[in-house]
This record gives sequence, structure tokens and C-alpha cells, in this order.
Amino acid sequence: MQAQLLRRTLPSLVLGLLFLSTPAMGICLDKYQELFGQLQKQTDIMQCTSLLLDPYIKSQGLDKDGLKEHCRERPGAFPSKDALQRLSKREFLRTLHTMLGSILHRLTALQRDVPKAQDLETLNRAKQNIRGFRNNIHCMARLLPDSSETTEPTPAVPATSPSPTPTSDTFQRRLEGCRFLHGYHRFMHSVGQVFQEWGESPSRRRRHSPHGGLRKGVRRLQLSRRNKRLPPRGQLPR
Amino acid sequence: MLALQTWIVHALFIFFTTESVGELLDPCGYIKPESPVVQLGSNFTAVCVLKEKCMDYFHVNASYIFWKTNHLTVPKEQYTIINRTASSVTFTDTSLLNTQLTCNIRTFGQIDQNVYGIRIISGLPPEKPKNLSCIVNEGKKMMCQWDPGRETYLETNFTLKSEWATEKFADCKTKRDTPTSCTVDYSPVYFVNIEVWVEAENALGKVTSNHINFDPVDKVKPNPPHNLSVSNSEELSSILKLTWINSSIQGFIRLKYNIQYRTRDSSIWSQIPPEDTASTRSSFTVQDLKPFTEYVFRIRCMKEDGKGFWSDWSEEASGITYEDRPSKAPSFWYKIEPSHTHGYRSVQLIWKTLPPFEANGKILDYEVTLTRWKSRLQNYTVNDTKWTVNITNDRYIATLTARNLVGKSDAAVLTIPAYDFQATRPVTDLKAFPKDNMLWVEWTAPNESVNRYVLEWCVLSDKAPCVPDWQQEAGSVHRTYLRGNLAESKCYLITVTPIYADGPGSPESIKAYLKQAPPSKGPTVRTKKVGKNEAVLEWDQLPVDVQNGFIRNYTIFYRTIIGNETAVNVDSSHTEYTLSSLTSDTLYMVRMAAYTDEGGKDGPEFTFTTPKFAQGEIEAIVVPVCLAFLLTTLLGVLFCFNKRDLIKKHIWPNVPDPSKSLIAQWSPHTPPRHNFNSKDQMYSDGNFTDVSVVEIEAANDKKPFPEDLKSLDLFKKEKVSTEGHSSGIGGSSCMSSSRPSISSSDENESAQNTSGTVQYSTVVHSGYRHQVPSVQVFSRSESTQPLLDSEERPEDLQLLDNTDSSVGNFPRQQYFKQNCSQRETSPDSSHSERSKQVSSVSEEEFVRLKQQISDKNNLHSLKISICPSGQETVLPHGLFPFQSIWDSTLKHYIN
Repeated sequence: MQAQLLRRTLPSLVLGLLFLSTPAMGICLDKYQELFGQLQKQTDIMQCTSLLLDPYIKSQGLDKDGLKEHCRERPGAFPSKDALQRLSKREFLRTLHTMLGSILHRLTALQRDVPKAQDLETLNRAKQNIRGFRNNIHCMARLLPDSSETTEPTPAVPATSPSPTPTSDTFQRRLEGCRFLHGYHRFMHSVGQVFQEWGESPSRRRRHSPHGGLRKGVRRLQLSRRNKRLPPRGQLPR
Repeated sequence: MLALQTWIVHALFIFFTTESVGELLDPCGYIKPESPVVQLGSNFTAVCVLKEKCMDYFHVNASYIFWKTNHLTVPKEQYTIINRTASSVTFTDTSLLNTQLTCNIRTFGQIDQNVYGIRIISGLPPEKPKNLSCIVNEGKKMMCQWDPGRETYLETNFTLKSEWATEKFADCKTKRDTPTSCTVDYSPVYFVNIEVWVEAENALGKVTSNHINFDPVDKVKPNPPHNLSVSNSEELSSILKLTWINSSIQGFIRLKYNIQYRTRDSSIWSQIPPEDTASTRSSFTVQDLKPFTEYVFRIRCMKEDGKGFWSDWSEEASGITYEDRPSKAPSFWYKIEPSHTHGYRSVQLIWKTLPPFEANGKILDYEVTLTRWKSRLQNYTVNDTKWTVNITNDRYIATLTARNLVGKSDAAVLTIPAYDFQATRPVTDLKAFPKDNMLWVEWTAPNESVNRYVLEWCVLSDKAPCVPDWQQEAGSVHRTYLRGNLAESKCYLITVTPIYADGPGSPESIKAYLKQAPPSKGPTVRTKKVGKNEAVLEWDQLPVDVQNGFIRNYTIFYRTIIGNETAVNVDSSHTEYTLSSLTSDTLYMVRMAAYTDEGGKDGPEFTFTTPKFAQGEIEAIVVPVCLAFLLTTLLGVLFCFNKRDLIKKHIWPNVPDPSKSLIAQWSPHTPPRHNFNSKDQMYSDGNFTDVSVVEIEAANDKKPFPEDLKSLDLFKKEKVSTEGHSSGIGGSSCMSSSRPSISSSDENESAQNTSGTVQYSTVVHSGYRHQVPSVQVFSRSESTQPLLDSEERPEDLQLLDNTDSSVGNFPRQQYFKQNCSQRETSPDSSHSERSKQVSSVSEEEFVRLKQQISDKNNLHSLKISICPSGQETVLPHGLFPFQSIWDSTLKHYIN
């Protein structure tokens, strides 16, 4: 019984610690549907290879015949769609949050191999988009009720970041970067599919984010957040 | 003494100053606060603290302190001495923005020394920024702007702050030239809500605006669609297809559009219904367009849900719809031209080119058909818009169609009436008026059904012929405007002809102006007739080319040189006017102005002078005067005629002709009579002036004695023999009397009756008015004036006595009267001598005569007077024999 209780409360505690570790700043969007829509739009954008992969392939000279075949996602670098679909919303959000952090690090590393300012700008914009996506995940996590999805099993996601094996070979580095970006877009595509399921499946929606419970939770979150944030707001370091 | 003291004080001050230059650099005190910024309207207190060293040096303390603001001493009421070294000053309701405040001391009783100075800056704290809004121009960074609020008079910094829930962005500091807007340094991240606010801060405080939280994608102003192109469709002449390329924002958001279009020659845009373009697309087909018409399009976009901003309009693109068959038959009309061929008419068929919106394409040619009653149809293809054909005097029906690439228009049908056709049924109430810079024509339709109307118009001019333009209107139209290129100030003759099924009706015409103007020239006035007090002015109607409008009235201005101008309005239908009440013999200046609805124009000035007299006035004066004169003359003549005897007696008494007297018969020395007969000769001589009239008056009415009768017979005989020599001087004097004299009468009775007064005169040859006559003449007097008794003149009688003393015994009943007694004293010796000579010669005969007379008992007394100076001598009546005797005797004596 205690083990069961611990199993239920542990994810919530981890997630809570996760979001608590994020410095409290601006106000999250407290409308679930809007936020959910933003997340979906973001995944739609981020899975599009024209924003990141294609420019990279072109800039790195990997758009030659035969080379594209090698620009494939390294297996295991990103969670699969199935793995993501098995996660509860909270676990999914946590996993996504973690993965995006790793991706940001990887993109920062990738910037060193991009000499052109235009490509740098593209990478910066991509990184900014990922940060925004993480912000929305943070906010969505805060909108989710504390008691939901506690029965879901621990997700089978890579424990490590999708960092490549360090190599001094430039071509290999480019290729790894290409594979990473390919995996990134595929991963975001999978995330988009998961979000789509969130919106399409009433049962799942009901199970994962019941409106009544969500609204209650949101209301509760708003109240608690107001209570928590309003007084110290002016004292927060800016 | 005082001057010495002042000099000492100054010297000491300089000494101390020079002694302690280094020490003076170190102020004697200080003011707290050092750099105050004071809010306007608030209280402010400053404290001046003196240093001990200075106090000792100058022997002063805090009571010596006085304050100055901008070099003006602050009243002591505002001072407060805190202690021996410190004094404060307090200002309430600070209003100066920038004030210099100094702390001073008075040393040695009279030298003011500045201790310390500060500058007080006043202002207001910033107001809370309002109306914060942000915009994200696609491809650019986010820019926010706000309303800064009131003026603070202080340097105020605005900072735009932004953050996510998990991340804070760098502050955006405003630039000095744009203190109310700021563009962030980072690229916006769509679909992530961001919180933005503004902080305004100056020396008096910091204030923050309301926070706004938004998704940057909802603040996007997209770039406009580009590469807009237009294409038509051969299948449908009413559509055009637009294609374009959306901006890259389309990858993030859905768009909606505004599509606007207009025809090339229009400036008004039409818009596609927004609901038709409410979703993302890259093409659109515009329908319900006119065939063969060029359209111009433009497009813009924004976020589909309406959040954000519309993009700018795209560049314009144009396209032309495909052709369609002409939608309307051309306007069709005709003109009959004179033909030299007998029995034929030259008809010019004319038509209008279809406007593009009716031609629906390029008109390739026109097809004309001409049909005479029950005859074969004749087809003609014409490329022009007119066609002349000779037709008979019969009735014809002409049709016209326009053809373009796609097809033909409907046929316009025109009936050309027969030569002898009499048009009737005109329109009524035809009106023409300008409105909205167009010339409108309005009429009332006839009672019969009208197929259409033809409006013709031309410019009326004296210089150019009327070349009509025309247009056609549908039968239902009763009001339209002339669609020609009309000019202002031109007179248009507008004719409306109704077209019936059987031919044209009777035309009606009216004149109109698109816009009137004052006449270009004024009328030239002249006088038609000028009278003493009036003048008839006349002028010609202005030529239509200079009228510039309808002449509504004329105004005649006239004045004298010194007088005020008088204006008279005259109706425009008149061409003459009579100015009345003018002053005679006065110069008048007259000019004339013609007025249209828009103003008038003066004509040249004309001058005329009124005459002194009216026409006929002189005649009216002269004629009556002349008539009066004539009448007076006539009356005078008549008077003279009636009173001729009286006048004659006074002016030209008749003198009997002595030559015709019996005495003359008796006298052997009768002077030649021929010298006396001719009046002309007598008058030509004109020198007889002294006339003596001898009047013999019978003493009674007794019959003469036989001797007398005998002598009378002798006298008669002599008279017959000397008929042609008898003198008629009596009849020619004063008046030519027809009174018979003894010399011309044969009848005894008449001799007795009328010869009772036988006049004789002796024309003494002396000059008239003392002029010496050249010839001595005799004249007979016919005067019946009796000789007056000269009782009062005894000298007359004396003369008689002296002359003939032998007859002195005659009774003095009858006598000769001598009117003039001067004869006796006249110094004219020639006459005296001649008289003496006469008496000496015929003395013997005279005695004998005297005896004869004395024999008669009842002889009349006789008196004779000779007046050489022209005096009258009168013989008494009824003494014809004696008279003759006396005549002869006298003549004898005279001779």
C-alpha cells in the first residue's frame, strides 16, 4: 500500500521538482486549448525539415546524390513514437522537456560547425523555438492536474542526451549533425502525433485531460499560482 | 569716516582673500542635499552648515547665513537656524524647474560671501505608460510602443521588458529620439505567449505599465502576397483568375485575404466579399466581370482569425477579360442631304461606335442592310461609322449590326420616311439645364409609344456653321445628359426627335449653355434720334459668339459731364430705348452693359448732345411771327387802302394837272405836254418836290352860264385833242386812284358831279428837301381836298391882293388856300423872277380875264396861292370853267 502510494506520488514529485527548478517568471497561458493549440503548431513547425535539416544539408554539402541516404536518424537517439505514446501526459511532457534540453545542447554544439551567419541565424531561431516549446510544455505541465496519470508506467526513454560520439572527422561530424537533425525532426513529428492523439481521442482526452478535472485543476492551479506568485512577484529577481 | 571704514573693510577682505587662496578653494560650508531633484509643487528644505574654521575666521555663525535663489535673497521668514553652524531654508510649492540656491554669509558687517551653491532640479515622476501595444512585422523583430503620459521635465528612461514563463529576455531600452517605442533584439517566437510591459523611470520615481501577455503570432503583420498575376479565360468572358505567392508566414499561420479590383479607367476599388477569401490560398477567380475590360487587382493578407494586422497591399496587377459579342446595337441615325438627281435622295447613315462595355471586344466591321418597301434586301459591310447612299423618295428601312471576334450585336433598325412624309407628334416641355457640370435635357414624352429618342446638338455661332453631334436614348428615357465634349460659354442648340415605329417624329429644339459667363463684349449703343429733352438710343443684339450666355437684360448708364450716372434696366428683347427728361443743349455720355446670369459687360461709351431747340420749335416761332407780320402788313395795307384818301391827303395830295385845265387851252404858251405825260419820266426825274395844290371851290351850286358851258365845250374839245397828254399824276400819287378826273370825263353830269373837285397841281421845279430840280414839271392833282380858308393867314390873302389887285373886289366866300407861306419869303429868286416874267407877259390877257369874271355877279370868290416850295394849292369845287381858266392862267404865269 505504501509502495503503491509511493509509486503514484513519485512522478508527481519528480515533475514538481522539475518545474520548481524552473525559475518562476512570466505568467503561463492558463487556457488549455490555446496552449494545446500552440504546442501542436510548434510541433508542426519543428517537424518541418525545411527549417533546419534541409538548410543544414545544403550548407554542409550533404545534398549530393547518395549522401542523403546516410543522413538517417541514429537509432535510439530519440524516443520512438510508440514509446512516447505509451507515456502518460505528465511523463510525456517531462520526457519532452528533457529531450528538448538535450537537443538545445546538441544544437549549440552544432553551431560550431556552421560557419555561415545565415545558418547560424537559422540555428539560433531553431533554438529559440525549442526554448519556446519548452516554455509551453512547462506551462502545460502546470495545467495538468496533480493526480492524473499516476498509474502510467515509467517511460522507456533514453536516459542520455542524443549527443553523438565525439569524432574529429569533419565529414563524420557533419553527417552526425545531419543524422541528429533528421532524428530531431522525426522526434518532433512523433510528438506532434502524440499531441494529435491528445486532441482526437475523447477517451484518451478524458483519461489524460478530462475537461472537468482539467478545468478544476487549472482553476486550482491559477488560484495556487496567484496565491503563490502574486505576493513575491515584485521581489523576484529580474 | 564712513568711506575710510569701507576702504579698510575692502582691503582686509582682499588681504584675507589673497592670504587664504588655498583655503578658499575649500568652501566654508556645504548644503545638504547636494543635488536635489524636487517634485514640482512639493516642499523642499536645504540646510547650510558652516565649517568651524570659517566661522572663526570670519567671526560668523549660522545667524549670519542668508540664502539666495537665482541671485535673489530669500526672505528670512523661510530661514531656520538649527544651531550655531547650521541654518536651513524651506521652499513650499516648488514651481521653478531649475533653481540655483546659494548659501551666503555677511562678513564684517557688509561683505557678502558665497559659502556654497547647489542647483535644485524640479520635475514630475513618470506617469504609468498606457496603451502598450506590439507589432511583429514579418521577418523583423517585435516592436512595441506606448503612450508615455505627462511631461516630467526630467530625463525619463523607458524600458521595455519581456519574458516567458520560463525565460526572461533582455530589456529593450528606448532611444532618445524614439522614447515611446522600442524594438526588441530577439526574433519573436510564434505560439509562445510572452509577457511585455514598460518601465518608466526618472529621478523622482519609477512606474510600470500594465503587463500584456500575447502570442507574438497574434501581432503579426504579414508581408503582402507577391507575384500577383491575372489571367483570363477564353471560355468565360466574365472571369479573371488571380494567382500569387504567399509570404513565408503561411508556414506558420493560416491567412485570409482582401482582394480588390477596379477597371483601368476608374479610381474606385471594388472588393471581393471577404467571406470568399477567408482562408489560405494562392489563387482566386474573380467572376461577374465585364467582357473585354481591363481590370486592376491588388491583394493583402492577415492572420485568418483576424488577430494581428493586415499586410500592406501587394503590387497591382491587371488583366483583360476575354471578348464577348457586342451586347447592344449601335446608335443609328441618318441625315438627308440634297441630291441633284431627280427622284433620289442622298441619305447619310451615321452611327456611334459602341463603348467598350457594350462592344465587348474589338469591333471588326458593321453590316448595314437597306430595304425598300417590298423590295429585296441589300447588305453592305462598312468599316466606318457613316455611309452615304442614294435612295429614291420612297420609305426605307435600314438595319445595322456591329461585329467583333465573337459575334454580332443585335440589329439597330431605322426607318427613313418617304420624301413627302410629314413628321408629327413632337416631345413637349423640352427643357435643358446644366447640372453637375453636365448639360441635361428633359422632356415629356408624347402620348404615343416611342421606340427611342435622338438628341442632336450643335454650337450656335455666327462664324461657323452648326455641325451637329447626336446621341440616342431609349424610348423609356425622358431625361439624359449630353454625352459630348461640351464647352462652357457656348450656346448649344439641342434638338430632340422621337422615333416611332413608322419613322421619326417632329423635332423640338431648345437653346442651352453648359455654363454661362459674362458677355465677352458689351453692346454698342448709338443714338437713333436726339431731341431737346429726350434721346432714342438703339443698339444691335450681341452676336451669339460673344454672348456667353442668355442675355437677361441690358443696363443703360448715362450721365452728363458733371452729373451722376443714371442706370436704366432694359429688357433683353428690346433694341432701342428712349431716354427722357434730358437737359437741352447738354453733352451726354452713355454706355450700355449686357448681363447674363453670370454677370455683365460694358460696351463702349457713346456721347451725344441734346439740341437747344426741339425740332419744329424754331418754325413754331418764326412762322407765327411771319404770319403776324404779314397779317399786320396786310391789315396795314388794307388800312391804308381804306384810308388812302386821308393818307394821300397827308402824304401825297392830288394836284390837278394844270395842263388839262381850260386855262391851259386858253394859254398861248402852253408848255409842251409831252414832258408831263410820262409818269416814268416824271418819276425818273423824281425831283419834283414842291407841289402846290390849287383847290377851287364853287361858291354855290348854281348852274354855269352859257359862256361857261361854252368854254367848257372848248375845254372838251381841247381835252379830246390832248387826251394822250393828260397828266395822271394825281392817280399815281400814294395810290393809283381810278377816280375820274375832268380830263377824262365826257359826260356833263359827271363833270358837274365829280368835277366839282378838279385838282391841279403845279410841280415846282425845286429839289426835294432843298435839292435843286433839273427840270421843272407840272403835275395834276386829283385831290378833292378843298382849299382851306386862310383867315388866320392874312398874308395869303394879301398875296392875292398883291398879285391881282383888280380882282380884289371878289367876295371872300371862296378862296385859295396856301399851305405853305414860306413861298413869299423864299429867297429862291429864280422862281420869283420867273413868276414876274409870267405876270409881265400876260398882263393884258389877265386883265381881260379879270373883266370877264367881274361881269359875272355870282362869281365865286377866288383865291390862289402859289407855293414854289411845293405847297398845296386848292381850288374850290364847282368852278370848272373858272377852274380851267385858272389852270391855264396859272400855267401861263408859271411858264
